[in-house]
Amino acid sequence: MAVYDARVTIRVVYAEDSALLREGVARLLETSKDLDLLGTCGTYDELLALVEATTPDVVITDIRMPPTCTDEGIRAANALRHTHPTLGVVVLSQHADPAYALALLEHGSAKRAYLLKDRVADTQQLVEAVRAVHAGGSVIDPTLVDELVAARSRQPPSPLQHLTAREKDILHEMAQGRSNAAIAGRLGLTERAVEKHSNSIFGKLHLNEERDVNRRVKAVLLYLTDGKHQP
Amino acid sequence: MERVPVLIVDDQETYRSALRAVLARLAEFELVAEATSGEHAVELAAALRPALVLMDINMGGIDGLEATALITSTNPEVLVVLVSTYTPEQLPPRARTCGAAAYINKDELSPRLVRRIWTDRGDPAWLAS
Repeated sequence: MAVYDARVTIRVVYAEDSALLREGVARLLETSKDLDLLGTCGTYDELLALVEATTPDVVITDIRMPPTCTDEGIRAANALRHTHPTLGVVVLSQHADPAYALALLEHGSAKRAYLLKDRVADTQQLVEAVRAVHAGGSVIDPTLVDELVAARSRQPPSPLQHLTAREKDILHEMAQGRSNAAIAGRLGLTERAVEKHSNSIFGKLHLNEERDVNRRVKAVLLYLTDGKHQP
Repeated sequence: MERVPVLIVDDQETYRSALRAVLARLAEFELVAEATSGEHAVELAAALRPALVLMDINMGGIDGLEATALITSTNPEVLVVLVSTYTPEQLPPRARTCGAAAYINKDELSPRLVRRIWTDRGDPAWLAS
């Protein structure tokens, strides 16, 4: 008897209530050799049941699904953080919505990605987000970051105004889940220079007392939410 | 294309739904029936003659290993794959002698694995493993 007990691929479950989109994206995902699409579903309850039964490594989920068609994907991502802490989640959003992104990331950005549905036309971006969250990283759609930057320029002063243009560039990259090494590569800086700028950013945002991972996440959250959630 | 008729056997709906979801990703397989007990599996296997059976082990009444022995003794052509939560070391010894062709840990179940087991079924090296 042959015994199969060793995991070699990234095991994925995909939730989307539109059957047409679901089947299209599922077929694209199946062309990627390092992913194994275990199954698809179309509601919040089905998603949690499928995760329970198949123990995937990563979930890809739409935000609006039955029963209420409001924020099921975000709620699933947050519920799964407690029940399946090692699971990665890629949330696909129809529009760049800062409130959803914040709700997704407020309990920690590790193993979470927020992508616009438009991205799935380019399967490579979706597959890379799956690999990134599986590896413990996070991905935030650049469109959302750009929108927040534009929105912020119309907002009252904040600690972010003390950042130099270079520091803002670096925070912008950080918000997309990039490491110091990746940021250095993209901006043509040394990794050491990125570290210095990062420390300056943390100082200006008063995050000096925190562990490095925490203050990185908090700087990104401050950046993403600045001016968007004033009382 | 002639599709491979499949019977799934599990007493828990959650796992049957997972097996359904996995099979739904495989165009060459067709789910013909679901059984919720060993007895039910033996009846359905005799009536429907599936080519592949995905079989849970621990169920009330006759368990998956006994059901596999009954099914394969009357129909040697059928490929029975056990699907359960045991590690290979914990597998009951009867699992290796009941006539099942393969064992999959539920945590490893996937469309690619089911396809691979089906494709490899005639390989003598595989059967000896």
